[in-house]
Amino acid sequence: VYQVFENVAKKYDVMNDSMTLGIHRVWKDILVHKMNPCPGILLLDVAGGTGDIAFRFINYVRSVRQRQLQRKLKHHQNLSWQEIFESYQNDKFNNSLGDSQVVVCDINREMLKVGKQKAQHLGYSEGLSWVLGNAEELPFDDDKFDVYTIAFGIRNVTRIDLALQEAYRVLKPGGRFLCLEFSHVSNPLLSRLYDLYSFQVIPVLGEVIAGDWRSYQYLVESIRQFPPQEELKAMIEDAGFFKVDYENLNFGIVAIHSGFKL
Amino acid sequence: VRCQQYPPLRALQASAALRGASDEHKKEPWASSSQQHFESPPAGHQPEEKPQGPHPSYTGQGGQESEDYESEEQLQHRILTAALEFVPEHGWTAEAIAEGAKTLGLSVAAAGLFHSDGSELILHFVSECNTKLSELLKKEQKLVQLGEAEKKPVDEFLRDAVEARLRMLIPYIEKWPQALSILLLPRNIPSSLTLLTNMIDDIWHYAGDQSTDFNWYTRRAVLTAIYNTTELVMMQDSSPGFEDTWRFLENRVADAMTMSNTATQVQSTGEAVVQGLMGAAVTVSNAGTSRAVR
Repeated sequence: VYQVFENVAKKYDVMNDSMTLGIHRVWKDILVHKMNPCPGILLLDVAGGTGDIAFRFINYVRSVRQRQLQRKLKHHQNLSWQEIFESYQNDKFNNSLGDSQVVVCDINREMLKVGKQKAQHLGYSEGLSWVLGNAEELPFDDDKFDVYTIAFGIRNVTRIDLALQEAYRVLKPGGRFLCLEFSHVSNPLLSRLYDLYSFQVIPVLGEVIAGDWRSYQYLVESIRQFPPQEELKAMIEDAGFFKVDYENLNFGIVAIHSGFKL
Repeated sequence: VRCQQYPPLRALQASAALRGASDEHKKEPWASSSQQHFESPPAGHQPEEKPQGPHPSYTGQGGQESEDYESEEQLQHRILTAALEFVPEHGWTAEAIAEGAKTLGLSVAAAGLFHSDGSELILHFVSECNTKLSELLKKEQKLVQLGEAEKKPVDEFLRDAVEARLRMLIPYIEKWPQALSILLLPRNIPSSLTLLTNMIDDIWHYAGDQSTDFNWYTRRAVLTAIYNTTELVMMQDSSPGFEDTWRFLENRVADAMTMSNTATQVQSTGEAVVQGLMGAAVTVSNAGTSRAVR
């Protein structure tokens, strides 16, 4: 798995766009929307490599924070000068992220490097950390994070149950587990079209764009081998999560699973 | 808008929904199914088997044990109750729910258990208020039964019950218009309608309403109209202690009483008129036949 992603790291984003015809951006947007984070949330993005989820999270939190500050200012129009002065001394005013933080964890150093470069390029400086780590054995303490996300990463984990247990461990009580992953299409017609596209088109794209047919062949096969929605839901429940459910996007091509540590 | 629509049409539909809640009726399949949907959070007899039993390696975790012994619905209930405290500041939003979760020692991400628009919080609040009202009315009834209090005349009873219920909104009155608009979302209408009609039914029950005839519908429609209009007036009332609202309420209840008297008068007048017509018709036909005979 490591070598697959080493080859793939630099062209990862380009390949994503061409394979999914750009829809992967929408999927990731939907994931962050579902999360609905408020300022102050600590996010752990596992297998987050090039930082897509992290950047979207930061954008979302920033806009929520903006709205909060606007509301506070409107409220302030009725206060006395003394009270306004006192509130300016309050640190929270100066923080555009409201103390939110994202930790991006990936097993692959190359992916992290690309992610860091992207962050610099796009101008994301505060609230981001990049950590090298294995999803089956996370280098973090218990009860640390508010939200744990893993977007298109869990199918590459050898022991999914271990990854789920680690997710449970590092989440705070009340914390949320979110998993975005390719899943099974139940509609037979669509399923056939999807298979056709996956096996014929994607490896070819892989060869043409990234010069690597084998990795993308592996990708498509791993998608087929991944457990379907209900089975993954059962596995998440086994790890101890409550209120587990999933939302199919695009008829099951992709599914978002969500669970809470209660 | 709301008060005009509810009394004549909706109250009837709603009472029909209540009556036929067990059987799926054609007009409003969504009413009964959403009624079910709403009942699952507070009630908790939904047969969802969550792994409440011993988890393989995590029962040892300190804070978790208290959660293992209560159902999800109870926990959600607690979070919503805790969230009410933050409503004056944050409004009926997911933020208030997040703050509520924080006070219980949970991560703010637990707000994800609910819809992001705060609907469940509002419905929870309304349901709690209705329960409080029920208990209040039951206590009063007991006092009357024990002979420690006088039985109030109907108009005074209705006035006091509606006033007591509306007073529960006072701490949240600033954000209540927002809540009303959320309750009107198509998704929430079945649940909010059920809560409303249940409350009205409750009030009439304790007022001593025994009727099962046509009057049942009119009584509910009338009281629903009174409640809704008074609620709207209260939103815009800036008088001290909401005296304008209570005066409005008094007038509406008085109107309703006179209207019902007029209705009975109209009914008896109507009967008299009909009898007169019948008599006239008989007389005319008798005169006609007698003339024919002659």
